Amino acid sequence: MSVVIGVDVGGTFTDAVLIDDEGGVVAAKMPSTPPDYSTGVLDVLRVLAGERGQPLESMLAEVHHLAHGTTSSLNALVTGNVPKVGYLTTVGHRDSIFIMNVEGRYLGRSPEELQDVLGQSKAHALLPKKLALEVVERIDRDGNVVVPLNEEAARASIRALVDAGVQAIAVSLLWSFRNPVHEERVRELVHEIAPGLFVALSSEVSPRIREFARSATTIMSAQIGPGLRTYLGSLETTLREHGLRGPLLVMQSNGGAVAAAEAPRTAISTVGSVLTGGVVGAVALGRQLGHRNVIATDVGGTTFLVGLIVDGEPVRSSTTIINHHPVNVPTLEVHAIGSGGGAVAWLDAGGNLQVGPHSAGAVPGPACYEQGGEHPTNTDANLVLGILSDRGLIGGRKPLSVEAARQAIRTKIAEPLGLSVEEAAAAIYAVQNSQTGDLLRKTVVETGHDPRDFVLYAFGGAGPAHAAMYAAEVGVGEVVIPLGQVASAFSAYGLATSDVVVAAELSDPGPVPLDPDRATAGFERLERTVVRALERQGLTYASTVVERELDLRYTAQLAEVTTPVPGGPLTREALDEVVTAFEQRYADLYGPGSGFSAAGVQAITYRVRATGVLPFSSKLPEVEPAESGAVPSGTRPICLDGRLGYVDTAVHDYRGLRSGHVIAGPAVIELPTTTAVIPAGSTGRIDALGNLAINAG
Amino acid sequence: MALPVPGSEMFESRPIDPGELRRRLPASLAVHDVTQEQIDGLDPLTYEVVRHRLWSVTDEMGEALKRMSGSPIVIDANDFDFAISDELGQEVQVGLYNTMLVGAVDLAIYWTLQHREVREGDMFLCNDPWVGGGLHQNDVIVFQPIFHDGKLFGWTSAICHEPDLGGMGLGSFSVHAQDVFSESVPTPPVRVVRDFELQEDIADLWVRRSRLPMLVGLDLRAKIGASTVGRERLLAVIEQYGADTVKAVMKRMMTDAESRLRTKLADLPDGTWNATGYQDQSGAGDRGLHKMAVAMTKSGDHLTFDFTGTDPQTGIINCTYAGMRGGVMLALLPILAADIPWSAGGLMRCFDLVSEPGTLNNATFPAAVARGPIGPAWMTGTLVAECLAQMLDRSLTLGGNVQAGCCGTHDAALLSGLDTRGERPAPFINVLMEVMAGGYGGRPDADGMDTGGLACIPMGRIPDVEMSEFLYPVLALWRREEPDTGGPGRHRGGVSGSTAIVPHGSGSPFGVTLAASGKAVSQNNGLAGGYPGNTARGVIARDVDVARAFAAGTVPASLADLGPNLDLQQCYADTGMGVNDVFVLQWQGGGGYGDPLTRPADAVAHDVHEDKVTPHGAAENYGVVVDASGTVDLTRTEELRVRLREERRERSTAVPDAPVLDLTGSRRLNDNLVEVTVGGETQVACAHCGRRLAGAGSEALELARFEGPSSAAGPQVLSDPGDYVDAPVVFRQLCCPGCWTAVYSGIVPVGHPDHAADLGHLLGPTRGSEHSPTRRTSA
Repeated sequence: MSVVIGVDVGGTFTDAVLIDDEGGVVAAKMPSTPPDYSTGVLDVLRVLAGERGQPLESMLAEVHHLAHGTTSSLNALVTGNVPKVGYLTTVGHRDSIFIMNVEGRYLGRSPEELQDVLGQSKAHALLPKKLALEVVERIDRDGNVVVPLNEEAARASIRALVDAGVQAIAVSLLWSFRNPVHEERVRELVHEIAPGLFVALSSEVSPRIREFARSATTIMSAQIGPGLRTYLGSLETTLREHGLRGPLLVMQSNGGAVAAAEAPRTAISTVGSVLTGGVVGAVALGRQLGHRNVIATDVGGTTFLVGLIVDGEPVRSSTTIINHHPVNVPTLEVHAIGSGGGAVAWLDAGGNLQVGPHSAGAVPGPACYEQGGEHPTNTDANLVLGILSDRGLIGGRKPLSVEAARQAIRTKIAEPLGLSVEEAAAAIYAVQNSQTGDLLRKTVVETGHDPRDFVLYAFGGAGPAHAAMYAAEVGVGEVVIPLGQVASAFSAYGLATSDVVVAAELSDPGPVPLDPDRATAGFERLERTVVRALERQGLTYASTVVERELDLRYTAQLAEVTTPVPGGPLTREALDEVVTAFEQRYADLYGPGSGFSAAGVQAITYRVRATGVLPFSSKLPEVEPAESGAVPSGTRPICLDGRLGYVDTAVHDYRGLRSGHVIAGPAVIELPTTTAVIPAGSTGRIDALGNLAINAG
Repeated sequence: MALPVPGSEMFESRPIDPGELRRRLPASLAVHDVTQEQIDGLDPLTYEVVRHRLWSVTDEMGEALKRMSGSPIVIDANDFDFAISDELGQEVQVGLYNTMLVGAVDLAIYWTLQHREVREGDMFLCNDPWVGGGLHQNDVIVFQPIFHDGKLFGWTSAICHEPDLGGMGLGSFSVHAQDVFSESVPTPPVRVVRDFELQEDIADLWVRRSRLPMLVGLDLRAKIGASTVGRERLLAVIEQYGADTVKAVMKRMMTDAESRLRTKLADLPDGTWNATGYQDQSGAGDRGLHKMAVAMTKSGDHLTFDFTGTDPQTGIINCTYAGMRGGVMLALLPILAADIPWSAGGLMRCFDLVSEPGTLNNATFPAAVARGPIGPAWMTGTLVAECLAQMLDRSLTLGGNVQAGCCGTHDAALLSGLDTRGERPAPFINVLMEVMAGGYGGRPDADGMDTGGLACIPMGRIPDVEMSEFLYPVLALWRREEPDTGGPGRHRGGVSGSTAIVPHGSGSPFGVTLAASGKAVSQNNGLAGGYPGNTARGVIARDVDVARAFAAGTVPASLADLGPNLDLQQCYADTGMGVNDVFVLQWQGGGGYGDPLTRPADAVAHDVHEDKVTPHGAAENYGVVVDASGTVDLTRTEELRVRLREERRERSTAVPDAPVLDLTGSRRLNDNLVEVTVGGETQVACAHCGRRLAGAGSEALELARFEGPSSAAGPQVLSDPGDYVDAPVVFRQLCCPGCWTAVYSGIVPVGHPDHAADLGHLLGPTRGSEHSPTRRTSA
């Protein structure tokens, strides 16, 4: 037997999913173990092995490959717990990373923070100015050396950084993506002075125009590279000692994996991997269910994440935001739009009911956890409304106090507003659903799509109780709640289904029409790079797919639009079609007629992405079909609509449901890890894979 | 001097009482309204759900506008905004972009309701800053009435800054303009869409005036498209919740914002606070200083801003009433309404404006007003912010929103020429956007943000050097933060930056247009004794052999490297630069808060370590002896700080002796002053040494006064005021004569009123009323 394992190391839990080649699926969840996350990885693998009734070693011996997603690098960046890194840049331009294009003040901030202009401050500088030194050199936009590198002065700067005790040096010189000669020479000089010191060159990490984002990306990569190298090295050693045969892969934010040994070179590409696992899982599930357009919502205790799948492909972005800095990392686009089950309900200074954006977090958590939380949350409202059982979560292992929930809602919301506790809870539920709908709509519309063309997937513990409601707010007709084996570890399932993806890019800004030979040569150079990179992974692929992209824009406009480019030698006609496709995509995104064609079009960045498809089918197995109608395990009074009040509502235990079961709303389906709501007028159906599909009435 | 234009008065829009406006509407216009009972009857759930939905509608409209616009000024600099208003034009929800526009939008709707027939399917286009909708002619608004069930329900507005709408200068701006006819001629509201149809003739008439007709046409369509999005979404909300409910929510959003602001105001002390500022030069060739003054009176829960005393309109440094109101909103929104939803229609009910027509910030037709937003309107905001800061500085809860002056203008610099790098030479205009990285003012509890942005457009963005060099035939020798440009203070003002640009790759010379104030006097004032941030400076270094320096393996890194032919630029200039010239621009940092001699030495050392302050600046302004690595010499620092206070004593006017008061039970007035009750008499004392600064019969604070050359303020003064203006400009400092802590530090003309010593603003009409039986009448 051969198996694939996905392991998702989050800040709180480490999840794992195993899929074997005979249709078997097992999932497990264990606490994460910072600072050494590898302990938690071994723990969860042991549980997986236990579920399969075999020793860890024999399970690991069957592993075709193990895909690993880690939050540790991202955590290191967010908390600033990174080693001392030095930075070298072009004379006169050291302060680019401190000026931050002014964007550093508002990137990645909520509307509430944006309105509080005086309360804002810039993002923390990536490093102290004394560790940011200049080298005398200058290259211009055509790649010409205007001022040769002053090697003597460069050596002095390098020595100063080495003497200051830096663990790595990031080098980002102006226009280095056009001509990397000075950056490469600087690396040689570093290694003359400090052999073996980790060096990140911007021309390798992110050869893309716009020095601020490129420099920030290079510095962050240097900050996490050495740590990632150490962590993955020791994890791989440990797993090998326990018998791991197949390769260890690391998930990247682009939705694909790379070999562990390759990851530290471009460490920054792994930072968003935890966020993207769920989207990758949704892509795999969508493929199996035949859904081409999916809104994937992942609602946890403190976050509400949204990713989009359009025409079977996840929506990508070439840039992401980390610590209020733009970072050049090709990524699956994931939007954080809310604060999940812990969203706090409160009254503003005008006495108006608000839900979020503050979250009670895991600690103290909702009032009903009785861990010291005094503020009523979304979860408290759901408990008062009867949506959550008063038996508590995880089959009663996590008890919930209805009285504590009522008390918090009574004192903070109901009494000040002159409402009953039940009315206040219903209002919190409705406000939460409606506002989530508004934010979901914003996310979808801003990518140029109509939410009515989508199916909505809801995973994560706190989503299924609300999904049908917020889907209705945006006009989505069908909701799918994955409820099979992998429901509680959906992100790890995504890792287990992922392929290997390597990408390369290079800015070569210039006006359209492009010279076909030059464009072809540019793409072919990138293709050679990614094909070599695929080979370096040391894996066997069922097939490889190479895709070309070109970032185009109307002259002088900010927004570049990534446009697909056909393979092979490019003709003038083929390039014209690429421009036409760009104009069409631009119109889809920004509105018909919004493109300023008369200004001309510019090509900015060439990108190639190679996918090595792994020879392993990771389809989810079908569940048993129903032989008779679904029988509720009981009823309880539940209030889903404040105007109707509490209604005796059927409650189903998921363990009793089989594929083909149809359940009319209102109804509630209970699992150990989540509770799903089917509203009145809607119908739920258990599909062949054991998922709950809800159709609006 | 422009002659008055009889007949132009009808285009002057003013705020109007909603009841009065309703009475003036034609009987033929059916208007949707709700009763107070319907507003009061809203349940909390419906209110919040619909409120958030209206936010979402406004946001979607704004995003559509931003996305569809082709203008870099919209996309990069975020100089645009949008709003949803009720049936009478009061703003229910506004965007977070150019906040000054908020003060202008409703004026255009009030005017239109009184001068145009308003019909379903119409959209109006307007760029008349007297009518409103924008602060200058480049601000172009498209606004539409929204009807439901045959009744006028509300309005949407979309405004963008257009890069050029004709006139004698590129970008519709000229440093030589004599009146508005030299600029873009204003267009009052015209129906660009009629019965849902774009009027091609009007659209052609509109774009024909511009040097960039295609871009202006594209933006026009963007605004129409965004308005359509707004209309469709708003009607969908009405469909779902009912017109009465939606309208009731809109009305309540405004009263909610109004009552929250009034509650805040009611908790603050009553009083009158003054601020005076100056525009140095009024246009090319002028060497005058032009005064703007405001007296802000807070009484109960209401504010009055009285601009009486502001100089008559002149040159190109004027704005209309809309600019004055927009300037007030620039200050009021972040300082008083950071935690209140921006239902601007409600917020604007909380203040009145008093002003004489024909003055700098209430200019009458046909004054030149193209520089309005970044000149007088901005200064209006700066002065109002200064008054608000003084008022809030007494309050412990609201003191967090006190801030010294920020970068006080947008240093306009425009390079133009022919780009010969491509196959065909192409004309280019490079508006330098790096000046948006201005410094913010220091605060009682924090330093000002370094290169943080511009206060009026919180979300501005500056392009990367590589993108500028890609687009234009230039090479940036440097773009950097400049140490010592932040106003010295207990909390330092944020530093600004500078850039040096040389033509590169194109063999032809450039045209250079400059418009910047704050070079002779400061516009980025300190607070509570903090010093102003740097004065701005533009220099063209002539005949620099940059190529030779490059060939020798060096890159010039300072003005000294670019000498000796340094051509200092006036505030307003139309000039040129050759291929061997280097343009060096230094914009404004923020003002400091509190006396810099009280800044902890380790904070100064950290500033030196982070290159925010030079060792020289640390010694001169902060009295801290520190080496370049940031190591402090504590002994010499202590000595130096004593000596600097001693120097203040020696150079200042003598003040009669006064007793030291017991500060037990004293109340904070600001960083330096407390009020103390002595024998039933309210007195003011120095918070640091207890010396009595005002007692019974004092007309003003008894402070020691120094006036000297502006360079005495420190290295942040970059040039001699005499290079720009004829009137003498000085560094003025007012100190406590007991401990020689600075209470005021400014760079001002001789004769500038001593607002900082004014007692009225400290003790005001309530002086003694709460604490003393000997009630005084207000002074």
